[in-house]
Amino acid sequence: MARIGIYICECGPHIKEAIDLGQLQNFGQGLAQVVFAKSIPVLCSPEGQEIIGKDIRQQRLSRVVVAACSPKEHEDTFRKIVRQAGLNPYFLQIANIREQCAWVTADKQAATDKAKALLAAAVKRVIQHEPLETQEIECQGDVLVVGAGVAGMSAALLLAQPQRRVYVVEKSPCIGGKAARHAHIFPHLECGSCVLAPLLDEFLHHEQIELLTLSEVQGVAGFYGNFTVRIKQQARFVNPAACVGCGLCLEACPVRVRNEFNEGLEERPGIFLPYTGVLPPVPVLDKKHCLHFRGQHCQACREACPFGAISLADQDRLQEINVGAIIIATGFDLFDLQKAPQYGYGRMENVYTSLELERLLDAAGPSGGQVLLRNGRMPERIALVHCVGSRTARFNDYCSGVCCQYALKFAHLLHQKIPGVSLIHFFTDLCLPGKEGQRFANRVLRLPGLELRRLPGPEALEITAAGGKIAITYQDGEGGGEGVEVDLVVLAPAMEGARNAGEIARIFDLPQGAGGFFTEESNRLAPVATARKGIMVAGCAQAPMDMASAIAQGQAAAGMIISDLTPGAKLALEPVTSEIDAHLCSGCKICLSLCSFQALSYDEVDGVAAINAVLCRGCGVCAAACPSGAIKAKHFSDRAITAEIGGLLSDDRF
Amino acid sequence: MSDLSQLKTLSRGKKPKIALCWCSSCGGCEESVFDLAEELVDIMAVTDIVFWPAALDAKYQDVAALADGEITATLVNGAIRMEHQEEMARLLRRKSQWLIAHGACAHLGGVVGLANFHGSADLLNRAYQEIPTVHHPAGICPFGEAPDGAGQVGKRGFYETVLPLNRMVAVDFYIPGCPPPPELVKEGLMMVLEQRLPPAGTILGKRQALCQSCPRRGSLPETLRLKEFSRMHQVTWDAAACFLAQGIICLGPATRGGCQARCLQGNMPCRGCFGPLDLVRDQGAKSLSFLASLADSADPEDLQRFADSIPDPGGLFYQFSLAASLLKGKADDQKNNH
Repeated sequence: MARIGIYICECGPHIKEAIDLGQLQNFGQGLAQVVFAKSIPVLCSPEGQEIIGKDIRQQRLSRVVVAACSPKEHEDTFRKIVRQAGLNPYFLQIANIREQCAWVTADKQAATDKAKALLAAAVKRVIQHEPLETQEIECQGDVLVVGAGVAGMSAALLLAQPQRRVYVVEKSPCIGGKAARHAHIFPHLECGSCVLAPLLDEFLHHEQIELLTLSEVQGVAGFYGNFTVRIKQQARFVNPAACVGCGLCLEACPVRVRNEFNEGLEERPGIFLPYTGVLPPVPVLDKKHCLHFRGQHCQACREACPFGAISLADQDRLQEINVGAIIIATGFDLFDLQKAPQYGYGRMENVYTSLELERLLDAAGPSGGQVLLRNGRMPERIALVHCVGSRTARFNDYCSGVCCQYALKFAHLLHQKIPGVSLIHFFTDLCLPGKEGQRFANRVLRLPGLELRRLPGPEALEITAAGGKIAITYQDGEGGGEGVEVDLVVLAPAMEGARNAGEIARIFDLPQGAGGFFTEESNRLAPVATARKGIMVAGCAQAPMDMASAIAQGQAAAGMIISDLTPGAKLALEPVTSEIDAHLCSGCKICLSLCSFQALSYDEVDGVAAINAVLCRGCGVCAAACPSGAIKAKHFSDRAITAEIGGLLSDDRF
Repeated sequence: MSDLSQLKTLSRGKKPKIALCWCSSCGGCEESVFDLAEELVDIMAVTDIVFWPAALDAKYQDVAALADGEITATLVNGAIRMEHQEEMARLLRRKSQWLIAHGACAHLGGVVGLANFHGSADLLNRAYQEIPTVHHPAGICPFGEAPDGAGQVGKRGFYETVLPLNRMVAVDFYIPGCPPPPELVKEGLMMVLEQRLPPAGTILGKRQALCQSCPRRGSLPETLRLKEFSRMHQVTWDAAACFLAQGIICLGPATRGGCQARCLQGNMPCRGCFGPLDLVRDQGAKSLSFLASLADSADPEDLQRFADSIPDPGGLFYQFSLAASLLKGKADDQKNNH
């Protein structure tokens, strides 16, 4: 027999005035195994808490039922009191008579009747409660950063400390992301690689940072403080420790393909350095195009290497790491221009994207910094088109926020490089935020030969071929049709979440919003946290932004982790988990694929399923599905739930 | 027989009295006793069968004349639908040391329990009027209005719902199956004869679901996701592979093992006749729950297609256990129910 004490909280006037507490108290008093039912003015106050503790000891209570506010509000408070009085904290049940009774009706009797039902359910349920113990494990202090762009690198550098190792998984063979391929950065037009050099250098040589290039995360199990991450690293076929970057292998390779790292503006060999000045300065072999891997007997690069750094036998590598927190900094890609043929991209050779122009403007880039037409002539008239695929319901309805500024930067640089060039900006609105945007624009807009054409909307323009030139037809501000011919067009496409963001969202179980960007926990109060505790998002993976903001977000995410995740700290495990009775399991495997936390596995020897208690979050999905009833969701056993429903539906309250 | 010499030793003393009774069932459970063949002769040699309507001429009065507890064990097959069945069950309970529920109908209500999807008036009307092969212009129903206007015969004796045996009398242990395998019937009898009775409430068979002993176990997939289910005539199936893996509904995961996978050996998926496992309250709900977890989509239209691919879900999931389930059954008159 249980000895149950019922505490009804008056919650000031909130419950007292809405429910007939005398009736409720009498009803509670009459339920089986109840020692007493009492009303307390404010149960969560220190006085109220003291009464519960004293009663448990003096009246030898074995179970406690609290009829008060939502368990979300004070369940932890009351569990603590119960535990301090010497009872297992799970010998408590809360009947929510405030949010679910007092606040949902003005009819006092209806509220009272429902409160009785909830109270009866809580009493019947609490009798079935079993004691649960909280286990602790040591918290994992290391951190995983996904993406070695500016956001990821700045986060990693803040996090890397003597007791904390940072793993950085980068899909490409190099670090620095897209920012490292910008020759000039607005508004001060410094050289991008010079600005980034100290950051890249420190990152690459930091002892506590382990960089995994050519790598992708394949799976994540666990939770904040204890994630297990499965990583696949593709073979580079070049040993960085032996390679000195002499480039002989590049010259020996007979293959030529488009170089995607210079936006396809030049060709590269099958073993190659992505771009001039790339870090780490180690070539990578492109297995897809390498003759050796296409079944031919070519070993030209290996034979050319004087240092024996190339091994064609290298294999892809799978590894598992344990980390306490994860930062997703997977950056952005530009809007796919195939979706908008009106801009002529891909059909006309002198129509470029912003990233392509960045590479052309780079003195170390594929054209040596020269902006020439494909026929080798200097362009005389250049159009810069803003808002391509953004600010329109058809594609992306947001403003990427950086394009106007870089378009003006392009105007400035093109004006410098091509004497007498005439430049036309096609824009709808100019977005020039921040301390420097407007000032920078004022300077550029004064340039001779620069014209502004304002469109009624971002899509009010079409680009077509016109002999050797490019014709742009557009609507002017009054809605009339106009036309102009130019030699070269630069498009400013919207920024979108990385092309593989959907796959990343699936692996890390993160929500995505507009443009495929990952959704932050709160766009005001928690811009780098996500719905999944312990997984942060930083930089252009979260939203379109400029370099400074991406770095600030990377540092913010690192700061949140540093303040929260102390290496060596203890982490309390969820005591409300599921467990399997191996004697009852038939090994039907129904449960295996249902677990969102990878807590279930199959024991091949005994032919039964097993639950990893550290990974289990107690969601109960497996218990509901288990056809044998062999899996039990602790604290939510069939017995407890059936008893609760029984109490809810019993007639004795009327 | 497992060990005849042992049985002969037993028979030197007083022969134990055994009774077999047939309530609401098809008679298949009786067959499971006859299927013991020569072994049945051995059993009859060492026991004194006092009541067995299917084979012997013994009457109610013969049983009533026995002292309470004089029968060592009674096997009752069939569910309880009629008043006389209840009376017989109560009488045999009183006269027997051990009462054994024999077969799915006694255990869970069985196929006859599916009648609980309908009210009693509907059932009688169907049986005595509507069935296409019935030509019965007089419209006489044994439980309805008397044809000569003599008044209401009433539905006395015909209960509103079908009940499993244990809802009427205490049952000591259960021999599951529709029908039970003869081996399991023999095992139940041997337990009685050798005085090694299992704990009260034991259900013979395994404690694990059928999958554990299924000959197709090797092909169980680690991840199983289905767009829809197929029926056997719609697909070409692999006679050695797990039915579920082929998209054909099999209730093996939610059904007690111990049947030697007879249906699976005969190329048929499990229908669930051994009932749920010890910790499962409602076999139909559990079957629904585990099959639903295989759905390969969260899209409402896909889910509808998935659900629509299950023919007669009520009859499928509750084929043997409706009367023992959480569902109370449809009754025309709740007050008249027992």
